[in-house]
Amino acid sequence: MEFEQTRRIFEKARERFGEDVSLSDRPNGEGSIVVEPSLIRDFTRWVRDEAEGSFDFFGEVCATDFLGRSPRFDLTYTVYSTTANRHLHYKTRVDDPDPQVDSVVDIFPGAGWHEREIFDMFGVRFHGHPDLRRILMPEHWRGHPLRKDYPLGGEEVQFSSNFADITPQTLPPAPGEDIFLGWDVLETQPSSYTQLLESGAELEHDGEGRMVINMGPQHPSTHGVLRLLLELDGENVVKAVPDIGFLHTGIEKTGESLNYQQALTLTDRMDYLSPMGNNLAFSLSVERLIGLEPPERATILRVIFAELTRIQSHLVWLGTHALDLGAMSAFFYCFRERDQILDMFEMVSGVRMMTSYICPGGLREDVTDDFVPALERFLKVFPDRLGEYETLLTRNPIWLERTQGVGKISAEDAVAYGVSGASLRGSGVRWDVRKAEPYCGYDTYDFEVPVGTNGDVYDRYLCRIEEMRQSHRIIRQALSRLQPGPVQAEERKVVPPPKSEIGQSMESLIHHFLITTIGFVAPPGEGHVPTETGRGLLSFYIVGDGSPKPYRMRARTPSFANLQALPRMLEGCLVADAVATIGSIDIVLGEIDR
Amino acid sequence: MANSHDVVPGVVFSTVDKVARWAQSSSLWPFAFGLACCAIEMMSTVAGRFDIARFGAEVFRASPRQADLMIVAGRVSMKMGPVIKRLYDQMPDPKWVIAMGACSSCGGVFNNYAIIQGVDKVIPVDVYVPGCPPNPDALLYAVTRLQEKIRSGEARPGHKILEPAQEVITVESGRTS
Repeated sequence: MEFEQTRRIFEKARERFGEDVSLSDRPNGEGSIVVEPSLIRDFTRWVRDEAEGSFDFFGEVCATDFLGRSPRFDLTYTVYSTTANRHLHYKTRVDDPDPQVDSVVDIFPGAGWHEREIFDMFGVRFHGHPDLRRILMPEHWRGHPLRKDYPLGGEEVQFSSNFADITPQTLPPAPGEDIFLGWDVLETQPSSYTQLLESGAELEHDGEGRMVINMGPQHPSTHGVLRLLLELDGENVVKAVPDIGFLHTGIEKTGESLNYQQALTLTDRMDYLSPMGNNLAFSLSVERLIGLEPPERATILRVIFAELTRIQSHLVWLGTHALDLGAMSAFFYCFRERDQILDMFEMVSGVRMMTSYICPGGLREDVTDDFVPALERFLKVFPDRLGEYETLLTRNPIWLERTQGVGKISAEDAVAYGVSGASLRGSGVRWDVRKAEPYCGYDTYDFEVPVGTNGDVYDRYLCRIEEMRQSHRIIRQALSRLQPGPVQAEERKVVPPPKSEIGQSMESLIHHFLITTIGFVAPPGEGHVPTETGRGLLSFYIVGDGSPKPYRMRARTPSFANLQALPRMLEGCLVADAVATIGSIDIVLGEIDR
Repeated sequence: MANSHDVVPGVVFSTVDKVARWAQSSSLWPFAFGLACCAIEMMSTVAGRFDIARFGAEVFRASPRQADLMIVAGRVSMKMGPVIKRLYDQMPDPKWVIAMGACSSCGGVFNNYAIIQGVDKVIPVDVYVPGCPPNPDALLYAVTRLQEKIRSGEARPGHKILEPAQEVITVESGRTS
């Protein structure tokens, strides 16, 4: 959003709240409003109901630990408007010790998990939060990993040519007993693992023959390691409580210990079904931070790859979703086309899945000569193949029976919970970041945003099928625009110079050396660009501090918010419908747990 | 196998042990259990192009009680460690483990507080597959290597935890080291 718009909103806020709000020019070029902690609830309500544009969609709240500064923590709230197509950042600052602020969960239900995550990772307490527990780390964990004074942990890598010298290490060398409790904890942990189940946690037992069952983390249809506690009345789900964190990888913490190019490789492994989408979101945010524009050919190729990624991600979704509901053939059909796309990824980047191909400044390198013919072959066959999937499912009576009217969520609820992507559009909200806040020139492409009406599993299915068709359309248009040219920005301090230049120029050699050894330096500031991946709104929030490493690397991932709405969708469903519903919101645990 | 000339043709003598090992290796039942990125490549291995059924290991079972091969496909977090241990304990003997990918073999790129640096700290591993994620062909190669180990009697179920790595395969060259 433009700085001018932020300032207009700020001036209104000044009239309403007086001196307690101020304006800061970060994030780069957008500006954000700084609010006193005591005002956060009033301000949030004002932003939702009265501010120009009425920001109805809760994007995220993200904490940053400025160790040594007082106040120590920044909490950055990002809200979006699904009607006025813009977003707004506002901040509040809280200080050590015992940082605390009021919860906004009753204003935006979608804030619930984000606040729990901050409580878990930073130890900031939110007053009035109904369920302030750890969310990603195990219950017994001590310390708050994303604080800057918490060590990265892990194991020292032992280099020796003699195997006998290498001592088997037990667990991460504990940097103080307080932080890691040692291996014994895990050995005895099965009790604490089932504790939640046994105590019933917040599930209420009324002694009327209700049963609590545990679904996951090992369950074939939870699409990874999601754990659900289901309270059942017969076959009906009375209440569902998701338990996540079984794949918590510390991507944000590790990213903050690496330089920008290295941190890029971690984004692949976050949402492993749309690696290029993650690369793109990360690169756009870093480029915003350092003020860099990639050349046109790179932008067009980025669009092509982002859409190919969307298609292959939807193909995995369709295959596994259908498999969950008993349609085996769709799985084989979808993986056939997916392999065709992965071949193209391998062609350009050398790997099938973890490409790291889109990088700050453009692309890693230009596409190979056989890429365009391969893409054309794919574009030629794909519409027919899409027809095949539809023949299998769209009017299949069993499929209709299993999906129609199941896992419903209303448009208002979906927006309030921050659900995005096809899961939101299935409920009839026409909000797609590619249209609302275009990036990579999406506003110049001609495509439709499909929406559903009922908000059930079937409508989400139809939306995604149509999205694949639209992606195909976008790729066709992009391909026709593709002209020869450079694929990396001419910014020698960020993008390594080509090999041919290194042999000629001393300066290029120095740049190359610095970029490969230290990395490029990003100025102090913040970069944030919302993007639309196959699952919904993905944005990276990067805080630079003038060093080659991101001071804060935060990912607002779509599945995290989408999963939060799952209990709402499951209310009154049957157990078998839970399987259909989980499949339909297309979660990837890698990006939920990060 | 011993083949004697004294008996009718078509009869093969062997030991019960060998026959059992041959049977076990020829119909591995993997545990349908994916953790992260590698699980997607594991699914590709099942799908049409790579088709793990050619090696008799296509019967993915969703219950540990019915499986004898655990493919640890993905990174193992601190929270997941005890769960994996329990799942392994629930599998009936004989059972084998393939650590698929860099993360489950040694923590991969995630050398941090959250990830257990190698699943062999929790359960014993028979074959490690490098790659991030390994190609489906690498996983197939690991399956065939495991089959060879089972047939030769080298892979014995239930070896102790924290033994040094049994074997590391390098897929590029196909050599073992």
